[in-house]
Amino acid sequence: MPRRVVITGASAITPIGVTKESIWDGLMQGRSGVKSIKDDPLLGEHLRSKVFGTVTDELTYDFERHHRKTMGPVSFYACHVAKESLDQAGLDQEFIHSGRMGVAFGSTHGSPSVQRSIYEKFFKGGDNKLKGIGGADYLKSMVHTTAANVARMFGITGRIISSCTACTTSAQSIGFGFESVKFGMQDAMLCGGADEYDTTTVAVFDNLLACSTAYNDSPEKTPRPFDEKRDGLVVAEGAGAVILEEYEHAKNRGAVILGEVLGFACGNNGDSLIMPDAAGIERTIRAGLQNAGIEPQQVDLVTAHATGTKLGDATEAMATASVFGKGPWVVGLKGYMGHSMGSCGVIESICSLMMMEHGKVVPTLNLENIDPRCDGIKHPGKIIDDDIKTVVIQNFAFGGVNTCLVLHSPHQ
Amino acid sequence: MHRSFTLLDRYEIEKSILGILKDQFEISDPGMDDDLREKYKFDSIDGIELLAEVEQLLGFEIDQEIKKQALEIRTVRQIVDWVEKVQSDNPQSDNP
Repeated sequence: MPRRVVITGASAITPIGVTKESIWDGLMQGRSGVKSIKDDPLLGEHLRSKVFGTVTDELTYDFERHHRKTMGPVSFYACHVAKESLDQAGLDQEFIHSGRMGVAFGSTHGSPSVQRSIYEKFFKGGDNKLKGIGGADYLKSMVHTTAANVARMFGITGRIISSCTACTTSAQSIGFGFESVKFGMQDAMLCGGADEYDTTTVAVFDNLLACSTAYNDSPEKTPRPFDEKRDGLVVAEGAGAVILEEYEHAKNRGAVILGEVLGFACGNNGDSLIMPDAAGIERTIRAGLQNAGIEPQQVDLVTAHATGTKLGDATEAMATASVFGKGPWVVGLKGYMGHSMGSCGVIESICSLMMMEHGKVVPTLNLENIDPRCDGIKHPGKIIDDDIKTVVIQNFAFGGVNTCLVLHSPHQ
Repeated sequence: MHRSFTLLDRYEIEKSILGILKDQFEISDPGMDDDLREKYKFDSIDGIELLAEVEQLLGFEIDQEIKKQALEIRTVRQIVDWVEKVQSDNPQSDNP
């Protein structure tokens, strides 16, 4: 029999804050985490987009050398949020090492900064191109580096899942972690995603004309989800982790329950790898609601993927309106922090937990004039006091991947 | 082309290895016979990194088969012994 799955720990690193308090303050104050892009001798002059969702808070790590040696920047982020979320959950060490807890954690493509250093050594290597490439460089940069380093640092011995589906990475982490617990394969899962500061990702989207370029001199004005004057996405860095736990397990040990995962769905458009697809999105949202066992009218809030691209936002608004009409509030959180790629799903889930906890819905930052094509959904426009019980988190990725998570408040 | 190298004596090798262990591996003042794996979690990845440092120290590339033998080494004394032998066995080294 399927089991209930609750959230007992959560932590995030975002461009607007790295603690629960500072992130919430950023949302309440309408603070943007988008800054001018840092100088990059390799790609800087070629990039048209000069903005980046940047983590400016200084993070201090107390990881030991034997852990650090296999970690690139992305794994430092991953292990930081993993540690914070484990601390909050308060699971005992015996359980963590028991094999009944696993890890579902990913990133877009491992550590691009380490990969770049490998290529630099290779192309400057002269006669011996492999000389100088470190023994741990692969472990620092491999696509499952976050999951592997998290599992090793905390001695988590259960299953390892490492999604790498770009912008749906961490939504899948939560979804697959949810299914692992729901169907009894594990009693708890540490789930999330991370992506480090990386200009090659900007180059990828810039090359496809998907990045914002019109606000290079006023970074805080972009991205502009659903706004008439939106001109593309803003790449960001970030990380997030949640501890998913079987409900009875959490209840029996007296854990504080932050929320419940009611459902998850993941689908593919089965068509273009880059073009948004309203039918595919709608199909995934409806599958998520069905999985959660709820009707559209029971949803109070949708956090949209809403990256700020012309076509993507309009397509998502259309698909969302088709399912929900103007029922739930719809917010695009990337207006605050940009698009943190592999970590956006978990960060938006954590922000959703905060909105449920505080009974407030934040508006989409930089949404000043709603694009008529995005007007079929209910935009908050300002901070709204509302009793938020059920939230849908929508994420979409290159490759035609769509995800839908359904979370519920811990209070019935 | 023949290239000559300055041979390091045992004291210099030991001092250099201890310096590398401190600077690169955060291992300060280890006992000469401490098991580095047990006491400092020094594993095969560290061994690969240390070998790269040793090649830089000696100034020549060490044969892969000889390097593989080094992965069994556990103590500072064994490292120094091995480096000393690799240096003296190197056909390109000039004997003093």
